[in-house]
Amino acid sequence: MSLIETSSLGKRFNDTEAVKQLNLSVREGACTALLGPNGAGKTTTLNMLTGLMKPTEGTIQFDAAYEGDRRNYLGYLPQYPKFFGWMSGEEYLIFAAELAGLPKKQAKISASEMLELIGLQDDGKKRISGYSGGMKQRLGIAQALVHSPKLIILDEPVSALDPIGRREVLELMKRLKTHTSILFSTHVLHDAEEVSDDIFIMNKGTVVIEGSLRELQQTHQKPAFFLETEKSPEEWLHTLKEQDWVVDWELDHHRLMITVDNMEKARANLLKDEHLHELKLVKFEVAKTSLEDLFMKVIS
Amino acid sequence: MMRQWMVLFKKEWTESLRNFKWLWLPIVFIVLGVMQPITSYYFADIIENFGGLPEGAVMDIPLPTGAEVLAGTLGQFSQIGFLVLVLAFMGTVATEKTSGTHIMVLVKPVSYSSYLTAKWVHILMLTLGSYVIGFSAAVYYTFLLIDQVPMSHVLSGALVYAVWISFVMTLVLCLSALFNSSALVAFGSLGTALLLSILSMYVPELMMWSPGMLSSHSYSLFFVGEADEGFWLSMGATVALMVVMMVSTILLFNKKELAKDSGA
Repeated sequence: MSLIETSSLGKRFNDTEAVKQLNLSVREGACTALLGPNGAGKTTTLNMLTGLMKPTEGTIQFDAAYEGDRRNYLGYLPQYPKFFGWMSGEEYLIFAAELAGLPKKQAKISASEMLELIGLQDDGKKRISGYSGGMKQRLGIAQALVHSPKLIILDEPVSALDPIGRREVLELMKRLKTHTSILFSTHVLHDAEEVSDDIFIMNKGTVVIEGSLRELQQTHQKPAFFLETEKSPEEWLHTLKEQDWVVDWELDHHRLMITVDNMEKARANLLKDEHLHELKLVKFEVAKTSLEDLFMKVIS
Repeated sequence: MMRQWMVLFKKEWTESLRNFKWLWLPIVFIVLGVMQPITSYYFADIIENFGGLPEGAVMDIPLPTGAEVLAGTLGQFSQIGFLVLVLAFMGTVATEKTSGTHIMVLVKPVSYSSYLTAKWVHILMLTLGSYVIGFSAAVYYTFLLIDQVPMSHVLSGALVYAVWISFVMTLVLCLSALFNSSALVAFGSLGTALLLSILSMYVPELMMWSPGMLSSHSYSLFFVGEADEGFWLSMGATVALMVVMMVSTILLFNKKELAKDSGA
């Protein structure tokens, strides 16, 4: 059962279609990544899911088991979270919890739990205006979580952070995965691979590839060989074309990547190819194409 | 619903405590309120000290009546007082929109009407509170230095003027919710207040309904204890306009999209 599902969702700004024919479904208990380059329509999609924008086409369905305003069951972290700088971190979390409907006492308890979870228990009493970017981002995640929503939606949660902040937030997300569903957007494949179960790759306002991380890896990761030679392999490549086990190749000066369909056959053939030996091999590596290659292919 | 309203209201309250609006707005009104009776009382002395009159001229400046001083105080409130109030509150929604802090509030299950009315009630409480304190100071010094005005005249006149302040502050809130630029909000609300007052002064027969008539009604309450002709019309129209402004602002705010197309 999907927690939230969109069908043929579309959003038009004047004459540009930011999102079109978007079908998305987020499973309960899963961490779902919305992956795509800048301008793919990720933020617009998330804004429609949270209700901050109204779709021009299509529908959004939240799990019928949860009645009423879906904002009750959602937590949201915008790409650039903006807090009231005059509040302390703790005050903001209590404020957010009470807005989400928690009684005062419970809001206080939940706020201090959250501060502990994000490692800000010592800074909870300080004004937010003095927080660093990483602290604000973690506080942003905490305010999205403070009322224990069914789904938290994070817009580019790690993009604006330095390597340390990024690591902290990714680790936090991994911990959160165990007790809440997450939908997050990112333009970095590596982040999506690291924490998500399901991936939707978006480009130009629509989903181009979707599936679980494992499925994508299985269907799109092909065996490949990385070769590096001293002489240019360009001429030799023509002889390679005729081989039936070759799927695709990419040449970058003296570096060559050959994607194949049958690893064993390809290895045997390549190793006994005398012309290849004449090119003076520097490197011969058996590998797999990464999702990065798939990502680059579908978005270009 | 009600609890969320209280949470939002408390947030407004804490914010204006932290940025000292609760301190300096009453101070501004006390200063304005005290200034009018004191300068009226010492007017003759002031002129003499600064050598404004030629030698031998007979000093005969009559002391104004208490009602005149109170009306003059409200005149000060309408100029400097309004300017200060509008500058203090022009950004109440507009700056939250430009900085983006409203997004994380309104993505919670909060109704837009709670968000706006919590701000509205807070603004009215703070401005009317400052007004009451400032005007009380004016009344005290007027009674002390100038002369007494019947208390019923003072109270009824002050009450009518409070409605005029409420009208202007409602306008500020509505414009702030609809526009992103604080400058535009200030210009729009001060301009409207000025226009209504001027029109009421020059073509009163056409502007009987206007909220701008309220200040002259309150002056005449001070002088004779009775409002001018058309008082209930302009009172009714002002209250109706306030309701219409609030309701249509909430509706328009509901229709507007909160998140802007970031282009990213």
